[in-house]
Amino acid sequence: MKRWLFGTVAAALAVSAVAQTPLPWSDDEVKAIARHGPWPQPSPRDPSNRVVGTPNAIVLGEHLFNEPRLSADGAMSCATCHVAVRNWGDGRARAVGRVELDRRTPSLWNVGYAHWFGWDGAGDSLWSQSIRPILDPREMAGDAARVAGLLREDKTIACGYERAFGHRPGGDDEKLLVDAAKALAAFQGTLVSPRTPFDEFRDALVSGDREAAARYPPAAQRGLKIFIEANCSACHFGPRFTNGEFGDVGIPFFTRPGEVDSGRLDGLAKLATSTFNLLGKHNDDASGASALRTRHVQRLHSNFGEFRVPSLRQLGAGPFMHNGHFATLDDVVKHYSEVNPDRLHSDALPLVRPLALTVEQSADLIAFLRTLTAEAPARPTPPALCP
Amino acid sequence: MRFLAALIGLLIAVPAWADCPLDLGRGTGIVVFSSHYLIAFRPEPMRIEVGEPFSLLFNVCTKNDKPAELVAIDALMPEHKHGMNYRPTIVSLGDGRYRVDGMVFHMPGRWELAIDVRAGEESERLSHELVVK
Ligand SMILES: [Cu+2]
Repeated sequence: MKRWLFGTVAAALAVSAVAQTPLPWSDDEVKAIARHGPWPQPSPRDPSNRVVGTPNAIVLGEHLFNEPRLSADGAMSCATCHVAVRNWGDGRARAVGRVELDRRTPSLWNVGYAHWFGWDGAGDSLWSQSIRPILDPREMAGDAARVAGLLREDKTIACGYERAFGHRPGGDDEKLLVDAAKALAAFQGTLVSPRTPFDEFRDALVSGDREAAARYPPAAQRGLKIFIEANCSACHFGPRFTNGEFGDVGIPFFTRPGEVDSGRLDGLAKLATSTFNLLGKHNDDASGASALRTRHVQRLHSNFGEFRVPSLRQLGAGPFMHNGHFATLDDVVKHYSEVNPDRLHSDALPLVRPLALTVEQSADLIAFLRTLTAEAPARPTPPALCP
Repeated sequence: MRFLAALIGLLIAVPAWADCPLDLGRGTGIVVFSSHYLIAFRPEPMRIEVGEPFSLLFNVCTKNDKPAELVAIDALMPEHKHGMNYRPTIVSLGDGRYRVDGMVFHMPGRWELAIDVRAGEESERLSHELVVK
């Protein structure tokens, strides 16, 4: 009886799989879809960080990532807010440091591929961005002397430093803070999100494998078609589904009555005055090529209220947007479906316009977005720093 | 092809322009011209990638063989009503040759390149459309 039932179910599944066919896709659509892969991409590179990709720095970085002694009260580490099982975020609308902050904790998935960091792009390298929460009085409230002291005085960490950098920790506190951040960046560069059902479909479509392409759910295929037609990929471009730049999509930017978060406009002011930007002495890239964007980026009026375009891979459960304004993905899609062009801030991209999606279309778009996520393998315990 | 024919026609009709070096090292680039100016340029690297910095190499010539200057370069997406997030810099290499660094087309689609040139008192804006995918 049981075997018979199993056989019937298997046959039914087989029939439904055969019955599915991929939607018709034009050559232009296939090209547009191909641009969102392949995945994964080659490992991130960063010429401004001499230890990026090196195993000893990655191990040191993972230990420092989980190290609360980097904070003033010894109670907070990077991992307090960037939680592995919560897509390297914290699942809150707004981050909580020593006080509640104005923005959402960004996910660290694929952060090594970015060229601007933070919601406002105030950081131009992953290592300089990693210094920010360590020093911020609202977050870890640490300082260079505290970090340097830990690297010099804790025997295990000092040993890990020597393995990663090839020499003992020196006497310059600021340089040690930067080195700690470069190890943190080396670790974060390894956080590459897994292959997803979308990637299987994309590869099948590109190689002309209709049978494999047909395994991608029809709702997701219809949603992908909406994604392309609505030109979402103007900003959510490429394999990471972000062009790494900034946009104003009509999310309120009041943080509290009378106060606004000016986003990119303020971020560029911070970038220009930072001692840790790529134009400064801590950049390891002698060629200067890595500082090209920092040298040429321009601060514009239109940067007011702009925030970084987030990747759409490993979206997680929400909340969403730079300030957690929307609790669910349904809310996000509803926003893009109903956004009132008159209520967009004056310089907002004319790209953002009400998509006027039906209930079915909204569900299809969400079904597509969900296929950009896959379960990440459980993280092994970090290897011992200096066994 | 039609463009090339027009260009050849033009070069034959206006022999003085034959002196304008259109070769930009890796073959002739893109040619833009008006009644006063003949401009050849090419991207470096040759393929412009969305979101990736690139340079432009220019040769700027005038019809009457007077020295001409590349004054400014800008680019915008007419459909989206925005420009670049980066400000390019112009380096003169002498003899009407220029190198423009720090260009980034941060979205796929149609970009309109605005090329401001000047020869003595006369200045002019030439434009050229580039589509990045
Ligand atoms: Cu655009």
